[in-house]
Amino acid sequence: MEGTGTRVRLGTGIGWRSEIADGIEALPGIDWVEVVAENICPGHLPDALQRLRERGTTVVPHGVSLGLGGAELPDPERLKALAERAEALQAPLVTEHIAFVRAGGPQTGTPRMEAGHLLPVPRTWDALHVLCENVRIAQEALPVPLAVENIAALVNWPDEELTEGQFLAELVERTGVRLLIDVANLHTNHVNRGEDPATALDELPLEALAYVHVAGGFERDGVWHDSHGHAVTQPVLDVLAQLCARTAPPGVLLERDENFPAVGELEGELGSIRAVLERHGSQRAVAHG
Amino acid sequence: MAEPSGTDAARDLSGARERLSRAQAGLLATLVAGAPVPPGFDADRLEVQRRALIGKRADVVAKVAPELPQILGETVFRSAFAAYARGRPMTGGYRLDALNFAGHLLEQGADGRKGPAADRSTRRKLRLWWLERSGPEPLPQGRIRRRLHLLRLG
Repeated sequence: MEGTGTRVRLGTGIGWRSEIADGIEALPGIDWVEVVAENICPGHLPDALQRLRERGTTVVPHGVSLGLGGAELPDPERLKALAERAEALQAPLVTEHIAFVRAGGPQTGTPRMEAGHLLPVPRTWDALHVLCENVRIAQEALPVPLAVENIAALVNWPDEELTEGQFLAELVERTGVRLLIDVANLHTNHVNRGEDPATALDELPLEALAYVHVAGGFERDGVWHDSHGHAVTQPVLDVLAQLCARTAPPGVLLERDENFPAVGELEGELGSIRAVLERHGSQRAVAHG
Repeated sequence: MAEPSGTDAARDLSGARERLSRAQAGLLATLVAGAPVPPGFDADRLEVQRRALIGKRADVVAKVAPELPQILGETVFRSAFAAYARGRPMTGGYRLDALNFAGHLLEQGADGRKGPAADRSTRRKLRLWWLERSGPEPLPQGRIRRRLHLLRLG
């Protein structure tokens, strides 16, 4: 378990998916990749991923099934599996989500149900206390620091007691966990919940930032769908720019999970991301110079 | 942000887990098991989320069982899966979900020969797909032996 003091510099990366493995291998300037932890087996890493590792590319396992924001204690078997993947990949950190993914069971009078997706946690003190205990348990079980990600939500919980920024700030203060900030998810919550990304960025502790996710989506009938299957749009790059105006992110990663385009298109998106980073890097240098 | 002094949540962690458990189960039951909309939620937004969950579930089932959209055709696969998934929560993994979906279509087809598996050739392909995966052992190799085996299974 570690605090937020030591930062790992990751650089620019892309979500590794088997469908685009060849393309990723050919892309120039990929400093690191993220793999969905549940999709790999520690003893049998895909050859293409193994070649990237041999080339010195950092690989970070990104879990999707722990459900740290769920009402139950995290499953020891799932935690053990995540820890094994971190060790097999010699990852500098592992990441998961602030979400619940399953619910129900004998105590609730409903059957056990899997959501098959990340669902938002109510921003209440109750949910915060539960999440903090779950995060501490995960930190104890993992061999490297943990960072947790803000998710995209279509649904609003009634009677919330904290804003997204306040909720994340309390979580970091109480657990020392790091943050993976998804700027596309901040944009999603802007469209779907009317929450201004600037307010969230002002409130959350950016010194705990581990890295940033950027992804594409689309708007339909006034609802933003964080599809990871469409191009990255300007409003999402604008939120990235707002973040970069406040801090230099230790890493930025492009996520694409569906509807894979030619690798040249992904290269173009990485170029747009790098342009935002460089523009704000030079502006900060002037401001602090 | 100071925590309101009236809340004893810090000392009442098991109470917090119980309250959160009920709230999350209530919301998820609406999204995947056809339960009524819990108080305070926007029904339209829950419907958008419900459809999104089914769409994603269908995506993953199509990935783990690519033969199903091939047998049924992409459009029929999507609409039949959405009809199957409504009110039927996923309890195991996606492979089990794919098997249960195929089994559901076969049952539906058997009952008055309706639904997406009513067509004889589709039904035969679907049944073979289901049998190859749901039994305790793989089907025998060779056309004749396999056919005899399937006849015995009825």
